[in-house]
Amino acid sequence: MIYDHILVRYGEITLKTRNRKMFINALRQNMKRALTGFSIELAAQWDRAYITLNGEDPDAVMDAIENVNGILSVSPVAKLEKSEEAMKDTAVHFAEEFTKGETFKIEVRRADKSYHLKTFDIQYMLGGYVLENVPDLKVDVKHPDHQIMVEVRTDGIYMYHEVRQCIGGLPIGTGGRALLMLSGGIDSPVAGLEVMKKGVEIEAVHFHSPPYTSPEATEKVKHLVDIMSKRTGADIKLHIVPFTELQTKIYDWIPDNMSMTTTRRIMLIIAERLAERIDGKAIVNGENLGQVASQTLTSMHAINAVTNFPVLRPLLTLEKNEIVEMARRYGTYETSVLPFEDCCTIFKPKSPKTRPLVEKVEKFESKVDFEPMIEKALEGIECYSVNEAEEKEAFSSLL
Amino acid sequence: MDNAATTRPYDDVLETYMNVNKMYYANTSSIHQAGREAAKLLEASRRQILDLMGLEGYDCIFTSGATESNNIAIQSVLRHKKPFGRTVLLSELEHPSVINVGEVMKDEGFNVRYIRTLPDGTVDMAHLGELLDDDVVFVTVMAVNNIVGTIQPIREMIGMLKAYPKVHFHVDATQAVGKMRMDYRGVDSLSISAHKFHGVKGIGALIAREAETLSAIAYGGGHERNIRSGTVNLPGAVSMARALRNSDETLDAAEKRVYAYNRKVKEAVSGLHAVQVQPGGVPHIMNLSFTGAKGEVVVNALGTHDIFVSTTSACASKLKKLNETLLAMGSDQPVIEGSIRISFSSQTEEAEVDRLITALYAVHTEIGDVLK
Repeated sequence: MIYDHILVRYGEITLKTRNRKMFINALRQNMKRALTGFSIELAAQWDRAYITLNGEDPDAVMDAIENVNGILSVSPVAKLEKSEEAMKDTAVHFAEEFTKGETFKIEVRRADKSYHLKTFDIQYMLGGYVLENVPDLKVDVKHPDHQIMVEVRTDGIYMYHEVRQCIGGLPIGTGGRALLMLSGGIDSPVAGLEVMKKGVEIEAVHFHSPPYTSPEATEKVKHLVDIMSKRTGADIKLHIVPFTELQTKIYDWIPDNMSMTTTRRIMLIIAERLAERIDGKAIVNGENLGQVASQTLTSMHAINAVTNFPVLRPLLTLEKNEIVEMARRYGTYETSVLPFEDCCTIFKPKSPKTRPLVEKVEKFESKVDFEPMIEKALEGIECYSVNEAEEKEAFSSLL
Repeated sequence: MDNAATTRPYDDVLETYMNVNKMYYANTSSIHQAGREAAKLLEASRRQILDLMGLEGYDCIFTSGATESNNIAIQSVLRHKKPFGRTVLLSELEHPSVINVGEVMKDEGFNVRYIRTLPDGTVDMAHLGELLDDDVVFVTVMAVNNIVGTIQPIREMIGMLKAYPKVHFHVDATQAVGKMRMDYRGVDSLSISAHKFHGVKGIGALIAREAETLSAIAYGGGHERNIRSGTVNLPGAVSMARALRNSDETLDAAEKRVYAYNRKVKEAVSGLHAVQVQPGGVPHIMNLSFTGAKGEVVVNALGTHDIFVSTTSACASKLKKLNETLLAMGSDQPVIEGSIRISFSSQTEEAEVDRLITALYAVHTEIGDVLK
């Protein structure tokens, strides 16, 4: 195999100077997690990272990290001894993959200033050699179809030509922590992944109402968390809140057309307290302005009135088809559309108010003391985490 | 009563050790499925250790124990830092696996200086301040002293060293980990050893803020991030993670119990003529002196009562010289010569402590003639 390293270029991290180390550390952790099981070595430097493949398949390694936030792009790299022959062979090897009629350019970075060949010498030598040995290619230094990169470093020469664009953004864990309200639908996983792009670490909360909601519904949410974790390299924790008691109480006491608003308000109260517990600084949800009754501006106002936490709604103004498109790209769509009822759909009133007034909702709610039930729900939270789940199962008797 | 020398492994730790040997004997570097499973288990162990120590983001390199960890940390970092400075600061109280490496590094052109010790056994921070200058590249101190149990002011040292960014701060945490909670964040590297917290012998770790600052001192296949070559001791590593978890879970209760033992013994000997308790720190290690007698005599005498203690660290107890820790603390020669170390563990039972006290009284009577 020609490739023995993967070069990882950082995204927005490179805009950081004084606290860059913190960002790099976080990125290294996330990459490591995404690369669990590969016998690679990872060296995260100031401006880029190198993965030593130790015989692992470069494509499999790139696949595993291309969705780790903070990586701008990756390239499979061949490390060569410092000889002209080795460079020539590799350049031709790369160029043979190009299509006839395409253009290329030799780009040289000479970190080792003591190397006897200067930048221009190398460009001239390799460009000429490729033109001689691979037919029907042309050199174009302004807008080439391909760039053959040559980096001369003290420990060897690194060559590559393929650049795979990655997700960019900031490493997860550098932007604080937020609690994602995860229903299991199409929107909420997308909302979570969007916020994670900016380096925010996510824990998720899901409300279930057994026996009205099925175990499959909870499994589906766990599966979504698995997908999100795998994609980002982050270990996302899922908090599952038992909601049956509150749900039935609301059903009994709150007028049908207001029950949705109260349900949402109580979920938000629980979310806020949970967020405080996990040291979260915001709540994230997949609300989309006007999509359903609970997501009109008046509804949001009435629901939001129970919390002082910032509620982030990254999908607020998107079109539904845009969200679906994102969900497909993120790989959450197929799971999201599985037909298991969550607690919102089962207790859904026939005609929920699209303009609930805070005062009215509060008046009805004041007749019931929800507080003890809220506390009980919080105490009954079960926690699930992919990495832990996988490993606990396999290694629990040992560790 | 010699648990600072080593401890008895937990039963379930031994089970883990055996089961990993049976079920995951594949080489963690092998590419096949079995190898990958083994590698996963190794990573899970690594993560568990870092999690339990509150050191997320650090790297954990498995070694054969703290001696190797100390050696790798000192030798590799110093060689790497040679162009930037040549002064190394060690506390006077360090274990031979630090002191003796320091001596060797002198031959490689390093200027090894010792941080003075206060009479209570802690490092003299003022003296550290005086010693720090632009040439210092490495500072090391043990978290808990192995002879008297002093807790060193690690956090204060981290604070002071902030002004010297090129200094690598290494901590030998062998006697602390699994026995007391300590915040190690900010330390550049630290050594731990499983057999000190009821794990098996032959496994330890070097935990580092950035593994890139470390390199190999023995060369081979490039395991453990090219820092510690040699087929990884997976059963050891997993069982160490298990031992650390057990210790962590029982720590609070054990600490309370051990503290009570410590008080009980101290009170019991407080009235005895010519018996002196050295200032200490952690409850699980205490140092007593029978002034006028030789420590070795006391150890042997206690041995006849089936109580096993030591004179000093097991690693140094066969050397015919005065105990360096006590010397550094400024103790008088008879105090040093007559000193014994008693060390408890989380498994020590109250009845054993009572037997110890009875034996101490008996020995005190038996050798009473020589005591001053």
